[in-house]
Amino acid sequence: MDARAGGMTFGFPRMHKEAAERRDFLPSLIRLVADLGCEVYVESGIGSGMGYTDGDYLSAPDVHLADEVQAYAQDVVVVLRAPIGKFDMIRRGGTLVSMLHFPTRPARVRHLEDSGIDAIGLDTIEDDEGRRLVVNSKSVAWNGLEAAFVMLERKWPVLTSRERRPVRVTVMGAGEIGRHAVEAATKYGDRERAELLMRYGVPGVEVVTIGRNLTSDAQYLKRHLSETDVLVDATQRHDPAVPLVPNDWLELLPRHAVICDLVVDPYLLDADPPTVRGIEGIPQGNLDRYMFDVDDPAWDLLPRGIPTRSRRPVVSCYSWPGVHPRRCMELYCKQLAPLLETLIERGGLRGVRPDGSYHERALYRGSLRAFRRADGSELPPPPEARLDLVGASSGDTG
Amino acid sequence: MHKEPGERRDFLPEMIGHLGRVGAREVVLEEGYGSGLGIPIDAYLRATSRARVASYDECLDQDVVVVVRCPEQDELRRLRRGAVLVSMLHFGTRPGRTALLASLGVRAVSLDAIADGSGRRLVENLEAVAWNGVRAAFQEIQRRHPHFDHPSRRPLHVTCLGSGGVGGWAVFAATRYGDPQLRDALVAVNVPGVEVTVVDFDLTWNEEYMLGRLERTDLLIDATRRSDPSRPVVPNAWLSALPDDAVILDLACDPYDLSATPPVVKGIEGVPHGSLDRFVFPADDEAWNHLDPRIETTNRRLALSCYSWPGLDPVGSMRTYGEQLEPLLAIVVEKPAGEWGGASGSQLEHALDRAEVSTWMRAQAA
Repeated sequence: MDARAGGMTFGFPRMHKEAAERRDFLPSLIRLVADLGCEVYVESGIGSGMGYTDGDYLSAPDVHLADEVQAYAQDVVVVLRAPIGKFDMIRRGGTLVSMLHFPTRPARVRHLEDSGIDAIGLDTIEDDEGRRLVVNSKSVAWNGLEAAFVMLERKWPVLTSRERRPVRVTVMGAGEIGRHAVEAATKYGDRERAELLMRYGVPGVEVVTIGRNLTSDAQYLKRHLSETDVLVDATQRHDPAVPLVPNDWLELLPRHAVICDLVVDPYLLDADPPTVRGIEGIPQGNLDRYMFDVDDPAWDLLPRGIPTRSRRPVVSCYSWPGVHPRRCMELYCKQLAPLLETLIERGGLRGVRPDGSYHERALYRGSLRAFRRADGSELPPPPEARLDLVGASSGDTG
Repeated sequence: MHKEPGERRDFLPEMIGHLGRVGAREVVLEEGYGSGLGIPIDAYLRATSRARVASYDECLDQDVVVVVRCPEQDELRRLRRGAVLVSMLHFGTRPGRTALLASLGVRAVSLDAIADGSGRRLVENLEAVAWNGVRAAFQEIQRRHPHFDHPSRRPLHVTCLGSGGVGGWAVFAATRYGDPQLRDALVAVNVPGVEVTVVDFDLTWNEEYMLGRLERTDLLIDATRRSDPSRPVVPNAWLSALPDDAVILDLACDPYDLSATPPVVKGIEGVPHGSLDRFVFPADDEAWNHLDPRIETTNRRLALSCYSWPGLDPVGSMRTYGEQLEPLLAIVVEKPAGEWGGASGSQLEHALDRAEVSTWMRAQAA
């Protein structure tokens, strides 16, 4: 065993979410962890949604097949989406590495702390400039726009005609996702489709991006909606209680226009203040169902009090990157590899220093401890860590 | 860096300190290092006890030489055989220099070629290219627009050619006038914002569409990466459609090289090529007249072009490069170049190895 690993064990459980959630970490990442001297336990069936067999994961001697309970019982548990309802399977002092969204999930944070779990939120691992290191905003944009143009072609068959005018896409929001949405929109969310249409001499796509200083200009926005074929919500709102586009404005969009929801804010009407969606009255989808025509029953299932009278076809998905699972996981594995290398090298999360190497600093920022410190509510270390501190001078428990 | 006077960049003391911490035996700094940034040499010497000051020649004589912009060819010949050179080397577009480095036996690592397994560059500052260029362009617009900060003016119309790495950041920056503080100030007094329209190569060929778009453009940005650099995206004749007070911003900064086969021209035909010393060219600027007469320059608008847009914010630029380089230089210090990227090598080692000239040349030949 590699001396750096210090006897750490890793568990890679499956996600067990909606049926169309097919993502798991790939054999290459599991092998990397094993090659660094760790015992790795993968849940049987891992990767099967993407066509992998258990055998594909067992290429290194230190990789073992396990059931879900065993996979969660290891020192470090790595699972992409937060394992809601399964935290109790993680042992006290264990480390959970997952998309945990600490800032918006206070109950989850409390639960992790109460359970003595040392956690790293993949979504909060950031470099010194605040850039996320494990992120797939590109897939959010490309997969969402791809679906939007599939829907647009259904509603507006001239999309593939040489005689039509350029397609008009309006992207609200120019941040991380908005930037990728612009590029994706210029290529119909699908490079092959873009090349094909260009080869046939079909005019391309004009993408108009408007930031907050124009989305708040009702007169401008209403006029602009009438000239929009695809309306993309890629905003980060200051005030999630107020929609950017009230439901009745959707009547201004052409009948064939498609709404592409890349933000996927929830409706939380019981919260104080309540959270509503940026484009009011549209359904929220998931990997099982993310395309909603105007007569879809999903519109009628929205919370009472949300106006849905004005409707246009919508594409919306809670996990856009999961639409193309293998592509998504290839990226996440590449992003995660140097971070797991660092985690192992430092003998676990407790050895990760806030002023260490580039990847150490980023990992530290992703930790629950760092979140609490930034949040101003720093907690005492979990019980095991307290014991370590009594007996160890370096704080490195490796 | 021995470049134009406007080039003030050197690495910051933080990175020099990092080199000491990761085990560099000695860090040799050229006399005057950091002076362009206003950083006293003492700040570097305090960052690590392993730093010392020496002549430029002595700096070039070290095991590892790190400098953002590539030294001139006669300076490259002074590097030791087997030395590691870490710099922006642009192997693909500088074939002569690349061959020279290989023949000298220099382990040259091109910063612009260091990419992870998915091809994402690990050392880049496209964000600064866009923000610095867009900020400078809006400063010119603000200077000339009679109602720039008045609530009655219409939204400003920006047309951005290209939606890739630079284009994406240019869109973001343009929605904020390249200056978040200016944007906040204008929002506070209800001044309409900026509408950014992006068009890519599947529309730029359409002359009728483009002329209509240019007529409605206040700021035209070239953020393209052309597959055929011998043909402009916007021929000079089309510039006549731009309003007289429109501004052109060249972020692509392709050079003019009419001696190359095929020749290389800028994406917006006729725009002068700028540097850190001079990057704003009014329509009546002499620079337009000094271009090769084979380049059409009849139609002119105020244009901005700079070969090194990140250099406008030298400290920010070097902070970014320094942070991106830290983990890579740790490997350079720790391992000889020949051992990068072996079977047990980390992801970063492999990235470094792929950007080393001999590996790069082998990959091109394969």
